[in-house]
Amino acid sequence: MPDAVSGVIALFSTAEELVDAIPEVRARGFESLEAFTPYPVHGLDKALKLKRSWLPALVMIMGGLGAVLGFLFEWWTSAVNYPLHIGGKPLNSWQAFVPVMFEVTVLFATFTAGLGMLFIFNKLPFFGNPILDSDAIKGITRDKFALMIQPVGGALDVDAASAALVSAGGSNVEVVMAKAHPPARGSWWVKTFLGILVACVVAGYGTSLAIKIYPTIKPMVEMEDQAKLDAQKADGFFKDGHGMQLPPEGTVPRGYMPILAKTPEEAGKTLFNPLPITAKVLARGRTLYDNHCAVCHGFLGRGKPLLDKFYQASPANLQSKTFRDVPDGYIYDVISKGKGAMPSYEADISSKDRWAIIHYVRALQRSQHAREEDLQ
Amino acid sequence: MNERTGGSVNKVLSGIAVAGALGVAAAYPAVGASRFWTNWVLWFVFLAAIGLGCMFVVALEHTVESVWSVPLRRIPERLSGIAVWFLLPMGLVALLSIPVIFPWTWSSASGIPMIVKKEAWLNTPFFVIRVLVCLALWVFSYRMLVTGSFKQDETRDPMFTVKARWFSRIFLIIFALTLTTVGFDWISSLEPTWYSDMFGVYIFAGTFLAGLAATTLGAVYLLRRGRLKGITEDHLYNLGGYMFAFTVFWGYIGFAQYMLQWYGNMPEEVFWFKQRFTGGWLAVSIVLGVGHFFLPFLALISRSAKRNLTRLRWVALCILFFEFLDLYWMIFPTLGKGVVLGWPELAFAVFFISLVVLWSRKAMTKGADMPVGDPFLKEGMEFHL
Repeated sequence: MPDAVSGVIALFSTAEELVDAIPEVRARGFESLEAFTPYPVHGLDKALKLKRSWLPALVMIMGGLGAVLGFLFEWWTSAVNYPLHIGGKPLNSWQAFVPVMFEVTVLFATFTAGLGMLFIFNKLPFFGNPILDSDAIKGITRDKFALMIQPVGGALDVDAASAALVSAGGSNVEVVMAKAHPPARGSWWVKTFLGILVACVVAGYGTSLAIKIYPTIKPMVEMEDQAKLDAQKADGFFKDGHGMQLPPEGTVPRGYMPILAKTPEEAGKTLFNPLPITAKVLARGRTLYDNHCAVCHGFLGRGKPLLDKFYQASPANLQSKTFRDVPDGYIYDVISKGKGAMPSYEADISSKDRWAIIHYVRALQRSQHAREEDLQ
Repeated sequence: MNERTGGSVNKVLSGIAVAGALGVAAAYPAVGASRFWTNWVLWFVFLAAIGLGCMFVVALEHTVESVWSVPLRRIPERLSGIAVWFLLPMGLVALLSIPVIFPWTWSSASGIPMIVKKEAWLNTPFFVIRVLVCLALWVFSYRMLVTGSFKQDETRDPMFTVKARWFSRIFLIIFALTLTTVGFDWISSLEPTWYSDMFGVYIFAGTFLAGLAATTLGAVYLLRRGRLKGITEDHLYNLGGYMFAFTVFWGYIGFAQYMLQWYGNMPEEVFWFKQRFTGGWLAVSIVLGVGHFFLPFLALISRSAKRNLTRLRWVALCILFFEFLDLYWMIFPTLGKGVVLGWPELAFAVFFISLVVLWSRKAMTKGADMPVGDPFLKEGMEFHL
């Protein structure tokens, strides 16, 4: 491809001269004009008859799209794909989605504005302008104002254009040539770029490999590497290779009484409530029951969960005959080890507190199934 | 517009104002003291939003030493006279409403823990003192910020600009404290058990918007009569941009206040919104959100809209209307009978609108149309975006 004429350029010494020259040049039949100034000049866009960019409209559309997509994503994640019940609010709560919609709107709009400007309107990856190779550039970047007549459909009468610029008051008239660009493949910058890329990949993998082969080389010691025994992890410290050890045969940790019974029924026969029935114990039991148990078993123990609408399992009805008749030890065993969908509460509620809850459950049962003598 | 038609417009407006005054007077015996005073307080805070909003626009220009707005400054200066000519008498009369519409003065409120806790603030003597201090501070600020500017037309003394810039910083503190007090006392304390940390900011957002909208309307009024020679599209663009920005700010604050209370779902907070989201008030809430945020937002988003006189005029009117609706939405549910709207509200609107328009037409002749004594006027006229 041979070099092509990019335009004919002339310099003016003030912004006013430049703005005044534009209609004169235009009157001679040159429509495709471009101006170069060291700073923004008022009225220049009007004189050049530049059209308003359609980037704002694009930003508006993409922002709107962001809002819609943000809403759809929130709705899909929290109401369809993985329903999350938060504070008893409806799954599709637009109020909670608005902040995310706002963020996505801003994200889409700013990215459209920034990238749209660079890639659509500034025509990246076009890195050079023929004007950079001209003599005029030295003036434009300092104190001169330039006007360029561009070819229309590839054709430009260079002599007529030069004459028009001179008669409009321009000086230093110059023909700007667009150098034919060699094809990108195989050019020096593509080679350099690929070279840097390959060097990065080699260096990265090499380092990673070296650290694996020579583990003593630690560029960074992270907190997860600690010289201690980890639960549920292998460790060479003990002979059996386990990091976590069972207690020695025939011993119990301090302050902990294991339940030896294998089933709730067995526990019902062997374990008995050690606490006296006092107002204090019942009050303690009530607090713990309301905090831990009532959410599923209900405040009266009827097995009606408070999150009724959303909860799929059916908790035990503690007011039923079965549970009125089971011994205390049975309930103690279930609280400690869990049953069905119910998890173990051993870690959350101390042994003494579990017994207090059982006293309170008995009181609850009595409150709903009073005996005749209670009424006297 | 010639003198004769101007005079006849004034005559018609005076007639309407008299008719409105009769309606207002008739409302007191007809619908009862509580609805009358609620209307009165609504118009008091609405005019406070416009008057103080305009004074804030003036003070903001002095504080940030902005130059582009100097040619337009006379408009908010003239309109901030509302603080003296309307707020002062209306605020003094409004003191009569205290035992009628404010629940914390009622004997039925004694013993309610959330009201008892606020007794140190919500008691009649302190309330009266706060109102009087606020009114006095506004009149004082008007004298410091505005009166001197009219004098500067004659004296051409640049020292006034220096003094105004100095005082405007103090006015910002006065403005913040008194406006928050207005919001807490006249609006929020109608439901004394409610509280919201964002309420002061919310009131500020609406007030600044009202001030900007009134300034824009004044500018359009003068430009249409050819009286602001030298004001360019770029000046209008900045006014439009300000309205656009603070429309978004209002939407942000309003939504944030609602969303946080909706999320927290605390009974002592959320009843306020529940009350406004049930029955007829739900429709008002939706109209408010659409009209106060989406409508001006979309109407002002494009570049050409901010330079278009017709567009700016109706958007400014829109903002003022929806700012009024916003205050109505905050104040009127306290009457507790669903949406209250009838001839007494209409009579109040007719009376105050005609009176304010009549007064504004007169105010628009006060002093020169631009602050001709301001040393930065020429620079402001040459403003380009």
